[in-house]
Amino acid sequence: MRGFLPFLGHRLFRAFIALWLVSTVVFVVMRLSGDPVPLLLPPDAPRSEIFRVRTELGLDRPLPVQYGVFLANLARGDFGRSIHYREPAFNVVRGYLAATIELGLTAFVLAALVAVPIGLFSAMRRNTLVDHAAMGVALVGQSAPTFFLGILFILLLSLKADLFPTSGRGDWRHLVLPALTLGAFTMASIARLTRSAVLEVLGADYIRTARAKGVSELWVVAKHTLKNAAIPIVTITGLQFGTLLGGAVVTETVFAWPGIGRLAIQSIYNRDYPVVQCTVFLAALMFIVINFCVDLIYGFLDPRIRSG
Amino acid sequence: MELTRRDLLKGAAALGAAATVPLTAGGPAHAQTTQKKELVIGQGGDIAFFDPHMSTSSNDIRVSFNLFDNLTSRHPDGKLYPGLATEWKLSGQTTWTFKLRQGVKYHNGDPFSSADAKFSIERTYDPAAKTRVATVFTTIDRIEAPDPATLVVHTKKPDPLLPARLAFYAGQIVPKKYVEAVGPDTFNRKPVGTGPVRFVSWTKDDRLVLEANPDYWGGRIDVDRVIVRAIPETAPRIAGLLKGELDVITQLPPDQGEKVNANASTKVSGALYAGLYVLAVNSKVQPLTNPLVKQALSLAIDREAIVKELWRGRGIVPSQPIAKGDNHFEASLPPLAYNPAEARERLKKAGYKGEEVVIETTVGYTANDKPMSEAIQAMWKDVGINAKVEVMEYSVRAQKMRDKSFKGLWWSDPTSTLGDPDGMMWRLLGPGGPQDYWRHAEWDELGNAARFSVDEKFRADAYRKMTKIFLEHFPWVPVIQPYEDYGLQKYVEWTPNPNQQFEIRRFNFKMRRA
Repeated sequence: MRGFLPFLGHRLFRAFIALWLVSTVVFVVMRLSGDPVPLLLPPDAPRSEIFRVRTELGLDRPLPVQYGVFLANLARGDFGRSIHYREPAFNVVRGYLAATIELGLTAFVLAALVAVPIGLFSAMRRNTLVDHAAMGVALVGQSAPTFFLGILFILLLSLKADLFPTSGRGDWRHLVLPALTLGAFTMASIARLTRSAVLEVLGADYIRTARAKGVSELWVVAKHTLKNAAIPIVTITGLQFGTLLGGAVVTETVFAWPGIGRLAIQSIYNRDYPVVQCTVFLAALMFIVINFCVDLIYGFLDPRIRSG
Repeated sequence: MELTRRDLLKGAAALGAAATVPLTAGGPAHAQTTQKKELVIGQGGDIAFFDPHMSTSSNDIRVSFNLFDNLTSRHPDGKLYPGLATEWKLSGQTTWTFKLRQGVKYHNGDPFSSADAKFSIERTYDPAAKTRVATVFTTIDRIEAPDPATLVVHTKKPDPLLPARLAFYAGQIVPKKYVEAVGPDTFNRKPVGTGPVRFVSWTKDDRLVLEANPDYWGGRIDVDRVIVRAIPETAPRIAGLLKGELDVITQLPPDQGEKVNANASTKVSGALYAGLYVLAVNSKVQPLTNPLVKQALSLAIDREAIVKELWRGRGIVPSQPIAKGDNHFEASLPPLAYNPAEARERLKKAGYKGEEVVIETTVGYTANDKPMSEAIQAMWKDVGINAKVEVMEYSVRAQKMRDKSFKGLWWSDPTSTLGDPDGMMWRLLGPGGPQDYWRHAEWDELGNAARFSVDEKFRADAYRKMTKIFLEHFPWVPVIQPYEDYGLQKYVEWTPNPNQQFEIRRFNFKMRRA
């Protein structure tokens, strides 16, 4: 891997720019959304009290100064103090991170484990009943809003069938419904894409050649088909991780799951600038890291990308 | 003073609809019992602060009113009872003397004394403590603790409502020694009070675990542990109740009551809200400067229909700016009238020329705010008012509250914090108050005189006159006094408090055992 170091340097530079842009956009948008102080005080608080709290939080300073302080602190890994919780924003977010990673990874793995075989199977049995049924379900999964699916699962699988708890975080049974809900869209997307990618490869000359050589069907699928169909699948899977982070906001709210998605929503309502900034920054960082990994995997899957 | 549940129910019956009105599913309710020693409560949002002086949010005070006690205690019947103070009296016009309960211990074993009470109240308005309840005890001049069992409070002017103020938020008594030793941050993380439950653990946005205080002066509560869970969405909160995972849920929307009652093991319990849902009016913008127009707005609202259709009957039509159940509520006044013909007449008299009247509403800041706005818009259009509904986000509403920049009317749910008009219409509509958009010299004079008078007869007269002026000028257009409903398992016997003060104590809570 001769070109790896420049490749890495280039990617790191782009990641740095992306993080800076994301932080700046969030900084500006949050401040455009208004003043957090009236939300902290009772409605009959006098003006002097509002000014006192504004000064205490450093919100009375000019915006460029606040931005400068924000960047300088960020460079040291300091996201500031939560306005609402009155403790370092990173400590607040850290408390929620594990729950989101647990939910996100489960949904992700569940989605990939279910979707790739289904997509593959659908492609192999193209235009049969199985194919139509699988793709029909996938269409529902892709088009049903997360919110609706979540409540549907609660009503059917929890309240009626009594299989899982209705909400909250606890043992593995608490994880099933939120992970299914969160993973539904991803699962459907991966299944549909796997099917079309596999179909494309199945029509290729080298597959016909392999079959003509008398290679067993299993080997045709495992070695020749899957590996060649993998690039679009890996791409979409990496991108879907972003969708998962976005979907976590709704899923965590529906299932009262104590993760960063829910924290982000509440913090936006509270106009808790530092917590929103920290949450978005970490989410962006996760997304960048995942996509970096995807790029690395490309290199292993297809040497042409590495050298090109 | 020891209160049995029977006494309490008697009091409730006397108050009529103002107290608890449990809905029954029809047919004899089967006595359902439990052996559970744990009470699980699902509320709509998580706790932000345990330090009772750092928040007035309902999700926080639902917990802090149970970790801590106040000197006085407002029970669900709306009356004041002894809390950490056993008796109190006024000498002269401005000196209140409180006798404090003896032998009370904090959760960490420290004894409670007058020094704690003095410290707690002074802390609320101490600039260095940076509390968020600094405006509650502004009438206090100074506090003395002559001996451990006596607290003397001097007010700047006569303040008839001091004992009532002490019963609500900012009045929770915190341990002086502990707070000073560990500092405010640790105190907030590991709160210590005298209340019926003590703090065990808290996982943010997940669950709070509390355990019964075995030595509670009011008697140990009927369970070993209380769990408070934050479940923001209504549907899963109700599903959790129906499935039996939760014993009590808060904020039950009126259209979900039937579902909870239809289920064999759950019931709805509600209290008539100690306050009103009103359309507050910016009387400084055209055409709302004209009292005739505001009278027409009120006359054009079919409140019966709103109560019946949007609230499934879970509310009453207000008759005045004073909530039913409060001191000085005038029972002889009829419910606010619906008379579209008269509304048209008054608009004509006012010379109304089709100026836009805007209702600014959030989606859910108060229950049913958007549906009610749309219904009222249609009713107003029927009498020829050019009504418009604009939707805004919560934080925009908070901003507009501060800037006093509402375009016309907006939803407000004034709570009666003191069981008295002083803590409701005067607190909000008075000069310099958060909803000061209308001034009337005589009304202001009466409100001010009533605030500083300890003569209840004089006050009653003043509030009667203020109500009369109010009903000509409508600085608020009262719409409904709703029930605050909770969903309960049938084995939970609990009487909610009309002012949203969520308390779990011997006098109002019991698990039905086999």
